[in-house]
Amino acid sequence: MSARERFRRILDRLLAASGTERALISLASLVLAIAVGTVIILVAGRMTTCETAAFWLTHPRPLGVPELFRVGFCYDPVTVYDRLFLGALDDPLSGNWSPLDGQFAVTLRETTVLVFTGLSVALAFRAGVFNIGTQGQMVVGALATALAVLWVAPLFSGVVGTLVLVPFGLLVGAVGGGLYGAVPGALKAYADANEVITTIMLNFIATGIVLYLVSEVFKDPDSLANQTVSLPDYALFPVVLFGEQFGVSVLALLVALAAVVAVYYLLEHTPFGYDIRASGLQPAAAEYGGVDAARTVVASMTLSGALGGLAGAVYVLMILGNFQTGVPAYGFDGITVAILAGNNPLGVTVAAFLFGVLKSGTTVVQFATDVPPQLVGVLRGLIILFVAMPEFFRLLGRRIAGPERESEREATVATDGGHDTEHRAPETRDGSGGGPRR
Amino acid sequence: MDSDRRRFIKVVGVTGLAGLAGCGGGPSESTATEGDGGSDDETDEPEMTEGMTETPGDVETTEAMTEADPTQVGMVYATGGLGDGSFNDQAQQGLFQAEEEYDIAYQEAQPDDVAQFGDFQQQFAQSSDPDYDLVCCIGFLQTDALTGTAADYPEQNFMLVDSVVDADNVASYTFAEHEGSFLVGQMAGLLTTRDFSAGAGETTGDSTNVGFVGGVESDLIRKFEAGFTAGVTYADEDVDVITNYVGDFNEPSGGNEAAQAMYDSGADIVYHAAGNTGTGVFRAAQDRGRFAIGVDRDQSVTKSSFQDVIVASMVKRVDTAVYSSIENVVNDEFQGGSVVSLGLEEDGVGIVYGQQLGSEIPDDVTGPVADSRQAIIDGEISVPTDPDDV
Repeated sequence: MSARERFRRILDRLLAASGTERALISLASLVLAIAVGTVIILVAGRMTTCETAAFWLTHPRPLGVPELFRVGFCYDPVTVYDRLFLGALDDPLSGNWSPLDGQFAVTLRETTVLVFTGLSVALAFRAGVFNIGTQGQMVVGALATALAVLWVAPLFSGVVGTLVLVPFGLLVGAVGGGLYGAVPGALKAYADANEVITTIMLNFIATGIVLYLVSEVFKDPDSLANQTVSLPDYALFPVVLFGEQFGVSVLALLVALAAVVAVYYLLEHTPFGYDIRASGLQPAAAEYGGVDAARTVVASMTLSGALGGLAGAVYVLMILGNFQTGVPAYGFDGITVAILAGNNPLGVTVAAFLFGVLKSGTTVVQFATDVPPQLVGVLRGLIILFVAMPEFFRLLGRRIAGPERESEREATVATDGGHDTEHRAPETRDGSGGGPRR
Repeated sequence: MDSDRRRFIKVVGVTGLAGLAGCGGGPSESTATEGDGGSDDETDEPEMTEGMTETPGDVETTEAMTEADPTQVGMVYATGGLGDGSFNDQAQQGLFQAEEEYDIAYQEAQPDDVAQFGDFQQQFAQSSDPDYDLVCCIGFLQTDALTGTAADYPEQNFMLVDSVVDADNVASYTFAEHEGSFLVGQMAGLLTTRDFSAGAGETTGDSTNVGFVGGVESDLIRKFEAGFTAGVTYADEDVDVITNYVGDFNEPSGGNEAAQAMYDSGADIVYHAAGNTGTGVFRAAQDRGRFAIGVDRDQSVTKSSFQDVIVASMVKRVDTAVYSSIENVVNDEFQGGSVVSLGLEEDGVGIVYGQQLGSEIPDDVTGPVADSRQAIIDGEISVPTDPDDV
């Protein structure tokens, strides 16, 4: 069997993998990533110098066999992974788990923002558009939210203020991000400009314009940093359950989960979602079937940008409490989250949580050990790489294996009584191109 | 094929383990395998104490508390992290100095972005194993996060560099960057109007401008610009300053372009306040055979490959701030609520001439600069903090 043939068979196998199998593959990848990471930690622990060993490696000594060798290492892989995962979850195994008042809150905070950026990228991916510009859309949404809420805030106060201003802020963020996302969408649809290039460039433009606006026009005169005046407390997400200092709100997390359900419903159960998915799978066939390709691209980019803008709004209303330049790279992390999730909106929740754990765990590792942050970054990257690879090859396999195998697979799913909406949907469109929805 | 695979794994395993044992570094306890541990900065690796690797909340803490309890110091660095050859490294120097003189143990944290400042501050404040006696927050971007954290943990002592938080448990340290920048500005103004040649650079007497490259424009960096411009004007009213803000503290290529444009338009000397972006300024100086002025530390030492073009550096003694705050805590004299302003008088800022070029700078340049230093201390010269006031 040639190597090529073998590769194809592996791809086919991956394509045919059931949900449980995919979960098991991910778990095995995680274990493998930890194994490789352990070796790297040990090697790095021999390349640096320290006074006291953090970790000893020796052979088992049954029946009083004398110790032949013992190697000391500067970094302890067990502690590193213990802190990376359990530390981020506030030590659920320690007996007195208090998830509400510690690092777990930070984990959820990161997760909340990443759900939005992950959804943003995933939605565009499903439409066959690579939105690398979520970061820029998030920055625009964040500034729009901060400025609009600052402007309106004096009109309200107290609980009414919260009830009005938080939804208002989210709306403004979504509109701002959406408009900014519509630009590359329109450029792709009507001027045939490659969206990868335009979105990347628009990231720089967003950062530059925002820096100018915040440092010259809307700057807080009392601060050295480039930031706006702080929003009043009643304009921010109210803190429920968690300690105030962690900057996490369960309500924001609920909004994020609602967005997940909404995007899932939109993609799987609406005619517009069908247009998006069809354009993503086979743009030519979709257009032949009556999908207005240009309109779908613009609409999906606008929605994707709106989700990015929501991430920015949540960042301002939940974490910072004002707008400050130097927005963390949640938008770029969103690309990874979307790939990890296989562009499935429901999977985005899980992927964002894994990513949130890794991000929050990194700070715990740095705090609890002497392992340099760069090394922790490598370990984090390894985990993501290993977990994302099978999904990546699945996406690749779908392209290579071709549509006929794809349809075979779908057919078996359908006869199993699985969700068959994909097969029902075409019938409702009865080939006229217009469809019942317009 | 199967036995091949097994043999492969065996060989890899054995050689891997042997290789690990043979690696140069590792803990110094493991006698036989101890080597010379790589380059110098690696030996700066923080000392490991058992208490630090223990998980928080673990009960086995007694053995960690050896001897008299050392003073526990937590460091939260500015974004950009250690190894920047200026700001953060300078802060770390203060920590090392304190470690040499007092019984302290420390833990360092390097945040990637602004959202993480609060996380690290809280982790240090919350920790009970060890219980931190002082948390040093480096950089003005930490101000907002610290305002919140200091209020949430009123029992925890903090120190803040470059900004002020008005709370009883925060000691704030600010610097008179404009005063130090005035001195390097005056030196630049005096040098550019004469024919001066040293190392790899030279000035031409007929040029009448010098340059300033900033990182991200902010009030803090504008203080550098204001002092520099005032110093240049004080030396010679006819000399102009060309200013450019690159927009990033970590983009040497941007600094290089900005400085090249300045040198090409006739500037002899360029001063930068741009962190790692300044590396590009030095490179441009070498390419064009001109001079540059370093910032924060003596950069003719920390960036020694450029010592043939660095005439001087405006040092900002962040290490002094860190060191003295730790000293205060060790001596139970923590100055919570105070704002310490470190200017020329306190040696918080100053001019340091380059290692290689310093000795070649004529006395009729260094003399007036030294006079101005005294005049600023005595209040005879007042240096503006905003370039618009120059």
